[in-house]
Amino acid sequence: MTPETRKKIETLFERYPRKRGALLPAIYLTQAEKGYVDREAAQDLAELFEIPPVAVWEVLSFYNMFYTEPQGRHHVYVCTNLSCSLRGARTMLKSLEAHLGVKAGQTTSDGRVTLGHEECLGSCGTAPMLRVNSDYHENLDTDEAKRIVDSLE
Amino acid sequence: MPKITVDGTEYEVPEGKMMLQALDDLGLLLTEIDIPHYCWHPKLSIDGSCRMCQVEVEGTPKLQIACNTPVRDGMVIRTNTEQVRTAQRGVMELLLINHPLDCPICDQAGECKLQDFAVRYGLEHARTRDPRRPAKKGTPLGPTIMLDQERCILCRRCVRFCREIPKTGEIGVFARGDHSLLEVFSGMELDNPYSMNVADICPVGALTTRDFRFKIRVWFLEDRETVCNQCANGCNLYASVAYNKVYRYLPRRNDGVNETWICDYGRMSYRTIRENRLDEPRLGRSTATYSAAIRRAGEGLRQARDSGGRIVGVGSAFAANEDLFVLRQLLDGLSAGPGLLVVPTGKADELLIKEEKAPNAAGARLLGFEESSGPVGPAAVALVLGHALPAEAFEGVETLILIDTHRSPLVERADVVLPARYFAEKVGTFVNHARRIQRFLPVVEPVFECEPEGQVLQRIAVAAGLDGFSGTYDPFEISKRLAEEATAFAGAELGTLDDQGQEIP
Amino acid sequence: MTPVITTPYVTNYLTEHFADDGYRTLKGYEAKGGYQAIRKALRMEPDDVAAAVKESGLRGRGGAGFSCGLKWSFMPKETDQMKVLIANADESEPGSFKDRIILERGPHVMLEGILIAAWATGSSRAYIYVRGEYAHPADCAERAIEELYRAGYLGRNCFGKKGFDVDIYVHRGAGAYICGEETGLLESLEGKKGQPRKKPPFPAQYGAFGLPSTVNNIETFAHVPFIIDRGVDWFRGIGTEKSTGTTIFGVSGHVERPGLFELPLGTPLREILGHAGGVRHGRALKGVIPGGVSMPILPASDLDVPMADEFLAERGTHLGTGGMVVMDETTCMVRVACVVSYFFRDESCGQCTQCREGTGWMNRICQRIEEGRGVPADLEVLGDLPGMLEGQTICAFADAAAWPIGGLLRHFRDDFEAHIRERKCPFPESFEL
Ligand SMILES: Cc1cc2nc3c(=O)[nH]c(=O)nc-3n(C[C@H](O)[C@H](O)[C@H](O)COP(=O)(O)O)c2cc1C
Ligand code: SF4
Ligand code: SF4
Ligand code: SF4
Ligand code: FES
Ligand code: FES
Repeated sequence: MTPETRKKIETLFERYPRKRGALLPAIYLTQAEKGYVDREAAQDLAELFEIPPVAVWEVLSFYNMFYTEPQGRHHVYVCTNLSCSLRGARTMLKSLEAHLGVKAGQTTSDGRVTLGHEECLGSCGTAPMLRVNSDYHENLDTDEAKRIVDSLE
Repeated sequence: MPKITVDGTEYEVPEGKMMLQALDDLGLLLTEIDIPHYCWHPKLSIDGSCRMCQVEVEGTPKLQIACNTPVRDGMVIRTNTEQVRTAQRGVMELLLINHPLDCPICDQAGECKLQDFAVRYGLEHARTRDPRRPAKKGTPLGPTIMLDQERCILCRRCVRFCREIPKTGEIGVFARGDHSLLEVFSGMELDNPYSMNVADICPVGALTTRDFRFKIRVWFLEDRETVCNQCANGCNLYASVAYNKVYRYLPRRNDGVNETWICDYGRMSYRTIRENRLDEPRLGRSTATYSAAIRRAGEGLRQARDSGGRIVGVGSAFAANEDLFVLRQLLDGLSAGPGLLVVPTGKADELLIKEEKAPNAAGARLLGFEESSGPVGPAAVALVLGHALPAEAFEGVETLILIDTHRSPLVERADVVLPARYFAEKVGTFVNHARRIQRFLPVVEPVFECEPEGQVLQRIAVAAGLDGFSGTYDPFEISKRLAEEATAFAGAELGTLDDQGQEIP
Repeated sequence: MTPVITTPYVTNYLTEHFADDGYRTLKGYEAKGGYQAIRKALRMEPDDVAAAVKESGLRGRGGAGFSCGLKWSFMPKETDQMKVLIANADESEPGSFKDRIILERGPHVMLEGILIAAWATGSSRAYIYVRGEYAHPADCAERAIEELYRAGYLGRNCFGKKGFDVDIYVHRGAGAYICGEETGLLESLEGKKGQPRKKPPFPAQYGAFGLPSTVNNIETFAHVPFIIDRGVDWFRGIGTEKSTGTTIFGVSGHVERPGLFELPLGTPLREILGHAGGVRHGRALKGVIPGGVSMPILPASDLDVPMADEFLAERGTHLGTGGMVVMDETTCMVRVACVVSYFFRDESCGQCTQCREGTGWMNRICQRIEEGRGVPADLEVLGDLPGMLEGQTICAFADAAAWPIGGLLRHFRDDFEAHIRERKCPFPESFEL
């Protein structure tokens, strides 16, 4: 964990009656450094929050948006919950798998994209959709989805 | 106090408690009242997750978990209705779909809550057709404990234990849903002075001690009451015995001493019953018979007394009050002045482990033994119990008589050596750091010839020509006299003490 | 990347100005009469504000439909502890996408509701818990909060009212449906795994960080300014007797025009479907999930049910979040069961035995039946499982996991039996799994 990250985290403490409240935002800040939180970073967090490292790891492993392994430069997620599936999301996911040559959950060999599927993302009315990093792309069809994925650096 | 009715019987229960706790406090749980439970433990915070303890509460349509339902006056509870039984069957069935059922090779078999409750509350057949969730088989979690992850039912007793009792918090549950796995942080170990308690509280065979693993099937074992003699806390124990051998110690609940815990050091000290024992009388460097050694000791004392030589007695914080009492009387009979006492010390913590590394320093002090740290000599004769002293302390001692249980460098230095019964082989009392007098009972027979220190001392006294020491050493009788003569021990006789001991003024 | 703007197709008081970009700003909101209700509330006694909300009949919009005013009344009056409000914007119930639009298009109406609630309950701290994936909506809320601080509406002596101190923070989740459950949310807010708490204690006594707390859905808060501004009688005049006001219905799945529709509670299902353009491609309707996938499905024959909880309960289901999922005649209900049971298996927090193990088992059985490997005994177990989960766990997630499976078996058992009989999926035109 860089000193800058640590400083940013420390400014969050005052938002919560107990500093542990800042753990989720702190993990986001730590994760922003490398795209994932490794063992050492988890230990740094544990020290900063004065909790056992296992408690940090429990939290990391509980939430979908925290990563403990290296990730692709971009996350591409397809919502495969009901409303999206009814409108062809899984067909779209399969063609993206074929297009990228990876299965959901895997990263392309050039490290460009980690493909995944996700549960409902609140775009049911504009299904199917992609979440690319923190952006939503909605009302898609397969061609449009491929085009978006190809445009990623 | 609120009154509640459980299955038709009315009970008065303590105010403001949860149902399970209240019933447990009254000693009713799993004796008179059958409420099966996995995650609840009387000395840990409430988890409320296993859902095994559900009961019917009149006026509430849904079942309630007994571990987290506060008792109210007039509450009517039913523990065995169809609705309750159905719920229990459901929990059992669901716990078992991912359980390996490798009972034949599981150390917990015979004392497993999953087995017990499955028989009583479960379904007759398995209905699952699926493979079980993948998980690790036995892997070490640290120096003392093995984890069979696939047997874990995720009750989190062990997690709460590590967070709440030693406050080391090494264990956690990773991921969520049916991927949840019990683990330690990678590269770290479950390693704290109390780690092995997790094996006791794990209701299944997921956590076992590496020490006990695969040693013996538990149904051959008999648990016998004893106390720990490794520090002044005097934790209450069971010694699990088979074939006259102690295979392990387990904590025995005593809320005034150790609640339900013991330290690893104390737990492992069952080995001292067999290991490194002093198993033969000696005269100087050579083996002797018991009676020859006693004769020699008696002679030495008589000569010293007759010639006006200095006689020093050294008590032991490992010895029972009853034995120390005999030593004191012997020293009085020889006009030798108060006995000395040397108490081994070491690190203490806030939980159980005490600085004094012996069980009965407090008792010895009450009996008038005086602490000394300097040399014992010069003296004509030193009569010594126990082995807390270095050989150097005896410089200038002409005759050293040692009555002891274990080998030590002092044995090489002693002129007369008499092996004694270890506390595990006899009956007596210790007084712990908080002045609680506790009894210990024999859990095994000695495997070589030896006698209790009190008996050895009585025989030496007789050999030294002292009156009033003949006959067989009877700790019960001595305890009675002790209670008469030493006010601190009044009303705390061996014969009337129960398994929880009692505080003395 | 600008998100697709899905302002409601049908609006009413709550979403009236959502299509207007300016409404997202403090200036634009005030131009439409915003922050007058809080000023009015501050001229009233806090208890009177709470009483008005209670009398209005406003029920929670987060899924459980509990009386909002009653919940506020649980907050302790005599206490030295800081009291905390939590606005629940975790919105993860599949089929629900209304809270997102409030954050994006009307953050100030939510904030004004929170401020009124703070006054009514004596709270001085509020957290808006936004699901982690809603990065953009959370940014919108944060921007709106900044505006309020700059205008002196937040912090100390808000709106010039001496002693009325309120701080509001956005707290972002990190991808876990269970953090929408109010005590799972509290744990997550405290920096822990989002595992719901056993009750007692209840949040009003021991909530966030052990402080007295109240959790409401953000839409619930958003109705409050209108109740204060326009009056209890006006509010009670909308909706049904037991379910007052409007809600933002979402319609998704096999309809011509999926989207959001703000309509009075009690609007017939058929009418809402009409607003959404009816079933896609002129096909026949097979079933509708009325309020997020946790709620048991309704068969096509129940189209005339008024969409309010009291009427839906008569048909064995609930209003939930009002996020309706429509399925046409091609739909394989076993596939629906697969999708839904997978979701619950994935999202169970894993504490309770029945939920942890039962969700996985239900999913494995559904999957096996769909793949043509099911046997009649599977159907028997699947039929028993909802009863083994329901009403027996720490939180209502297990009920939410059990209900849809129970509902699908109740109304579409034929679909399951056909799979077992034919040893394959007999719905070739169904959506792909
Ligand atoms: C599994 C589960 C998930 C939930 N998810 C949400 C959610 O995402 N948003 C929400 O507002 N309420 C959710 N709830 C309901 C909350 O527990 C709580 O009742 C609600 O936030 C209270 O607000 P209300 O009374 O204003 O509806 C969920 C409940 C359960 C059991
Ligand atoms: S290892 Fe044992 S004590 Fe720990 S959670 Fe699993 S079953 Fe419970
Ligand atoms: S704390 Fe002391 S008495 Fe207790 S088990 Fe450990 S050594 Fe024995
Ligand atoms: S019911 Fe499920 S989600 Fe809720 S606490 Fe229990 S295991 Fe967790
Ligand atoms: S189902 Fe995909 S966004 Fe809701
Ligand atoms: S013992 Fe009560 S829920 Fe586990």
